[in-house]
Amino acid sequence: MDIWNQLLQGFATAGTPVNLMWAFVGCALGTAVGVLPGIGPATAVAMLLPITAKVDATASMIFFAGIYYGAMYGGSTTSILLNTPGETASMVTAMEGNKMAKSGRAGAALATSAIGSFFAGTIATVLVTLFAPVVAEFAVKLGPPEYFCLMLLALTTVSAVLGQSTVRGLTALFVGLATGLVGMDQITGFARYTGNVPELLDGIEIVLVAVGLFAVAEALHAVLFEGRVVEHENKMSRVSMTREDWRRSIPAWLRGTAIGAPFGCIPAGGTEIPTFLSYAVEKKLAKGDNLAEFGTKGAIEGVAGPEAANNATVTAALIPLLTLGIPVSNTTAILLGAFQNYGIQPGPQLFTSSAELVWALIASLYIGNVMLLVLNLPLVGLWVKLLKVPKPQLYAGILIFATVGAYGMRQSAFDLFLLYAIGVLGLVMRRFSFPTAPVVVGMILGPLAEAQLRNAMSIGEGSAMVFLQRPMSLTLLVIVVLVLIGPRIAKQLSRRNITNLT
Amino acid sequence: MTSVEPITEGALSAISRRNQTIVGCGVVLLAIGIGAGAIGISSDSGYAGVGPNFLPWLVSGALLLCGCFLLYEARSGGFRDMEEPLGEQAYWPGFIWMSTALMVNAALITTIGFIFSCTVCFVLAARGLRNAQHVADGGVRSWISDAVVGFLISAPVYWMFTQFLAISLPGLTQSGWI
Repeated sequence: MDIWNQLLQGFATAGTPVNLMWAFVGCALGTAVGVLPGIGPATAVAMLLPITAKVDATASMIFFAGIYYGAMYGGSTTSILLNTPGETASMVTAMEGNKMAKSGRAGAALATSAIGSFFAGTIATVLVTLFAPVVAEFAVKLGPPEYFCLMLLALTTVSAVLGQSTVRGLTALFVGLATGLVGMDQITGFARYTGNVPELLDGIEIVLVAVGLFAVAEALHAVLFEGRVVEHENKMSRVSMTREDWRRSIPAWLRGTAIGAPFGCIPAGGTEIPTFLSYAVEKKLAKGDNLAEFGTKGAIEGVAGPEAANNATVTAALIPLLTLGIPVSNTTAILLGAFQNYGIQPGPQLFTSSAELVWALIASLYIGNVMLLVLNLPLVGLWVKLLKVPKPQLYAGILIFATVGAYGMRQSAFDLFLLYAIGVLGLVMRRFSFPTAPVVVGMILGPLAEAQLRNAMSIGEGSAMVFLQRPMSLTLLVIVVLVLIGPRIAKQLSRRNITNLT
Repeated sequence: MTSVEPITEGALSAISRRNQTIVGCGVVLLAIGIGAGAIGISSDSGYAGVGPNFLPWLVSGALLLCGCFLLYEARSGGFRDMEEPLGEQAYWPGFIWMSTALMVNAALITTIGFIFSCTVCFVLAARGLRNAQHVADGGVRSWISDAVVGFLISAPVYWMFTQFLAISLPGLTQSGWI
């Protein structure tokens, strides 16, 4: 079997001591940034992007992927033990997990989320292994009009569906697109918005924008508004699950995976919808005493399901990234940026042109999941200690790493001033509830979408009708329109659901 | 800290509405700026019918629409579906400490090197955060401990990136160690 052979090849590449070391460091670092409040996988990967200048592509992609899904394991630890979820993905885990921890069952909650993450992550990796090559084969047949519509769909969902307000999401998206405009036009080479500054010809570095918007803005927000916020840490208990816990968790993991994986595959990303959906399903299916635990003592299904859904989504999101070159979240957008630093454009050709890299990356997902299970179950006590790092040192330390990322990319002190300016912009956006993901995704995807648009229009000899004449692109356009109108209806419904649930 | 006058809800919403109006204006200004820049961009479209100036005009137009809508929201009861609670008060001295930290770092990094510049940045930023917490901070000792911790973070980071990953960061000397 072809896939089987290639996967074995991948294991051979990923299994070299050096690559294993990168995977391990990535997983450990990922868990750490997941646990630490104030820094997430997107920030961590962005800060470390300068290493792409020296480290070879396979090793660094294995490393970044480790950070990417390691953070999902770590994030649940924080949301169970503290009253603040580390990231949106673990918001739902926080609801039941925190209640479980408060009633002395922190250990069981941590165990079910770590094992569930492993379970879902591994199944989703199998899906990536089996389906990514198929999707890639199919995607080769897509032309620029279809690509443009797919990208339009990704841009629309990331800005209009996620977040509270469509207008603020779209504003953020267009700010991102505007940032992406700076530099040389991909098709004609015309310099746009460079103001005759030679450094700007290559465009604005993604590191600066991501680190500024996430890390610096987060630190500024902490110093301005969170000084007096006192966090209560829940007591740890022994990390183990009873027979009853297993009996309740296993079906929840399965259902969570089944809900999460499809959401990751379509370029309409975000983990909020699948995790909330999984939570709703678990609550609906619970009966008797188990149902009574929801919202009171904390029900283990309410942790197991969403946590599995989360990891399944995150892992499956690698399918659109690798086969179509379309990122659906902050972190995948930055991973795309990392590929671009190597001159590699993810897309259907990736599986033929960089087969070794792709299969090593997929193999490393299997290896990484095992590493993370070990890192997070027996060693969870170690990570819990990270929660004790005092805030002043934590945020001040983050600024040091931000400096490495911003300065290391281009060796320019000017970039550090720019970093501060972007940080202030991020602070304003955070304060007025503008989502930041659309900025990053728009900045990365904008130039690619523009090139596809102009190529598509060339095919149509200057007529936009080309998008309506091809069935696939027409279908996608209809979906985009639905996505734009749909949220208003969906929001009403989900609001009603959430009030019913909590 | 100076005592803070309790702010009534009406006054608060007036302030937040004013701030939201400023944000809306900012978006409109950005739209105008991008539009102004788009004038100078070639419209040579070749076969495509859309040239390098198409997306700039689109972005400018869309931002203008978004900005106007935000202004409308700000003037008619405030932004919809806000997440942040309005009651929190900002601690501006902390913001100044941290801004100074970042500015000083940017200004000094090429002269005194990564390690010392980041240590200074760490000390100043940590000071802002300590003050923001409003707890007694142990005087000189806490300054010294911040400096030591800052050094103990920046030095290994510097060595790891310059020696191990061969990424060039500025040093005080050419030795690559300090």
